Amino acid sequence: MTNSFEASSSAHDCGGCDCGSAHDGACAHGCGCGHHGHERPADAAPMERLVRFVDYLRVQGFNVGIREEEDALRALMLVGLEDREVVRTALRALLAGTRREQATFDRCFDLFFVSREQFEANMAAAAQAEAELEARRREMEERLSVNGKPIEFREDLKDVYARMPQSERDRLKEIVDKFSGKMEHAPKLYEGFIRSVFMRSLLEQQMILEDAAEGAAQADADADLMYRDISSFRDADIPRAHQLIDQVTRRINGEIVARRKSAGRAAALDFRKTIRAGLSTGGALCRLHYKKRHSRRKRIVMLCDVSGSMMQFSEFAIRFVKSLSEVSDHSEIFLFSEQVQRVNPFALENMDLFQNYVRSSGVWGRGTNAGRALEAVLAASPAVLTPGTVLLVLSDAKSVDLDRAEGALVRAAKQAGTVLWMNPIPEAKWQYLNGVTRLRRHCDMLPCGTLDELARACARLVG
Amino acid sequence: MRPELEALKQKLNEENYIADDALVATLYIAMRLNRPLLIEGAAGVGKTEVAKAASRAFGRELVRLQCYEGLDESKALYEWNYQKQLLAIQMGGQGESPAMKDLFGEEYLLPRPLLRSIRSEEPVVLLIDEIDKADAEFEAFLLELLSEMQVTIPEYGTVRARSLPFIVLTSNHTRPLSEALRRRCAYLYLEYPDVSKEIAILKAKVPGLDEDLAAQVARAVAYLRGSDRVTKKPSVAESLDWAAALMALGVDELDDESCGETLGFALKNNDDIREIMADDEFIRSLL
Repeated sequence: MTNSFEASSSAHDCGGCDCGSAHDGACAHGCGCGHHGHERPADAAPMERLVRFVDYLRVQGFNVGIREEEDALRALMLVGLEDREVVRTALRALLAGTRREQATFDRCFDLFFVSREQFEANMAAAAQAEAELEARRREMEERLSVNGKPIEFREDLKDVYARMPQSERDRLKEIVDKFSGKMEHAPKLYEGFIRSVFMRSLLEQQMILEDAAEGAAQADADADLMYRDISSFRDADIPRAHQLIDQVTRRINGEIVARRKSAGRAAALDFRKTIRAGLSTGGALCRLHYKKRHSRRKRIVMLCDVSGSMMQFSEFAIRFVKSLSEVSDHSEIFLFSEQVQRVNPFALENMDLFQNYVRSSGVWGRGTNAGRALEAVLAASPAVLTPGTVLLVLSDAKSVDLDRAEGALVRAAKQAGTVLWMNPIPEAKWQYLNGVTRLRRHCDMLPCGTLDELARACARLVG
Repeated sequence: MRPELEALKQKLNEENYIADDALVATLYIAMRLNRPLLIEGAAGVGKTEVAKAASRAFGRELVRLQCYEGLDESKALYEWNYQKQLLAIQMGGQGESPAMKDLFGEEYLLPRPLLRSIRSEEPVVLLIDEIDKADAEFEAFLLELLSEMQVTIPEYGTVRARSLPFIVLTSNHTRPLSEALRRRCAYLYLEYPDVSKEIAILKAKVPGLDEDLAAQVARAVAYLRGSDRVTKKPSVAESLDWAAALMALGVDELDDESCGETLGFALKNNDDIREIMADDEFIRSLL
């Protein structure tokens, strides 16, 4: 990079500018006067590069306006271009507004701003790599042939072959050579065999790529946990997941309070209170008082499947709902597998003991009978399902006796205000599951396989 | 590093604020472009301290507005002096009635921190602390001040800044801030200091602290912050308290026993203390 952005540090004409007084923009000269007029016009080439970089950021999803772009240019004029890290910091502070954006920004910056030598080296390396791949594609046609005739493969499979390590390619060649003598007898059979060996190698390559993706996910552990399937959590992930749940629920609670507050402003004027308060100021109504809105917290009844692998998911979901104090101030919990048990509200005060509680309850670890569980909730006396309650079912809907479950769910939907079903199975697989297909007709079923989906489903409780 | 940045770093150092290069560059640019600076980071990483250090380093007065739920313009920006207005009306009843425009003049205006900061003759550092605790509508109300450096009072008119305050906003991210607010600010995310920076902070803030003890405390605090067993991570202020407590007890070296006696200065949760004292790796890391 050249130093063409650098502002002049020589004495400057500061006429018309009163240092420290109010005006827009900034001065590039160190007088702290915030005056536009002193800036030396920037050279076109670096400016154009900055504009292109900002365009690139926009493509990457950054919301950069003209003003930010202008400020970025001024910042570069202030700090110069000699120090790459200072340039990075300056642009990052002005163009990336969140921590996540800053991480993306750093990646974009490193990709975009490279030295000329590096750029040329990258181009040469890319050209060489492409030439090598092309050579390997040709090699494939030559080496993998039956009776001198190349085996036909799709173009994308040729790419996979070209990217395989040398050892793998040699192994394929060995197989072809080994069986080439026998191919004359049953060419179709051997061609099929070679194809299957090839496909296996292809799958192995894909798995290597997936491992790489997992490595990338580990680099940002929080994002990884938020978007990873809950069933794949290891024991070591659990404490961090609990912290994440706390953070997310704190944010959701904050948003709900803010929304209620702003809605509260639109409430009706409380005349009585306003006039009474006015007495203290001689009858002048200096302060208006508004009627408070009634609490809109919901009563939630949770029916949690704790059969086998569902326990971890149920624990997370209960933690979420219990922490959402702004959504519900009272929740009733039922645990079920084949049996049903109503939970003493004090027993789950400390959620760290949840799994012990479930294990000692005798409900854990059996099959699932959602019908019986729903009937038990319906039969509870005094009634727990009223038009003001939200029934939250946490289950994968793999239940025995689906007729009974469906019937009970229909009755529960009539009795409760809302029925939401949180299902840890990914939505893409729902169509293959009979239980899901039948039960989702009678309630809102939400995919909750990851913490992020769980958080979004819990936010739905507010709506 | 450019001389201006070096000078700023030096000034902050003189004020006992150990700043890294990224912080110095961001602070410098925000200051020179008159851009408000939004600082985010975990609780206790020293976000508020940046504003305090900047005010001392630039020799400017610090005006602080602590945000909380329900904060509105009457507490943050201005309020009319109702008592004085009523008195004026009642006095007017005996003689000439004051004109309505006089009642909403500067004489009856009670300036709150925001108004005070922009009406000040000398530029100040305005710290809007924990903006995420305020309501979204207050955040929207701030936009005019942040972008135009002016505020509008309906009965009075627009008040332009006499001097440009350097505005620092801090947030713990208890709720997401609006895109509009972020766009108007330069952004800085503060991480917990690494061990070497923590040692420098301890030495600067706790005079007379032994170098080895400072290194041990810094390593121990770094371990606590990285441990999954600790729910409330120790802040920089807490590590300073811990070091001061050890010094007061005359401890030269951090060991199992002295740690057990004083860990309450770093960790503020009984479960955390119990968990950590049972963690062999932590005890080993001290040695």
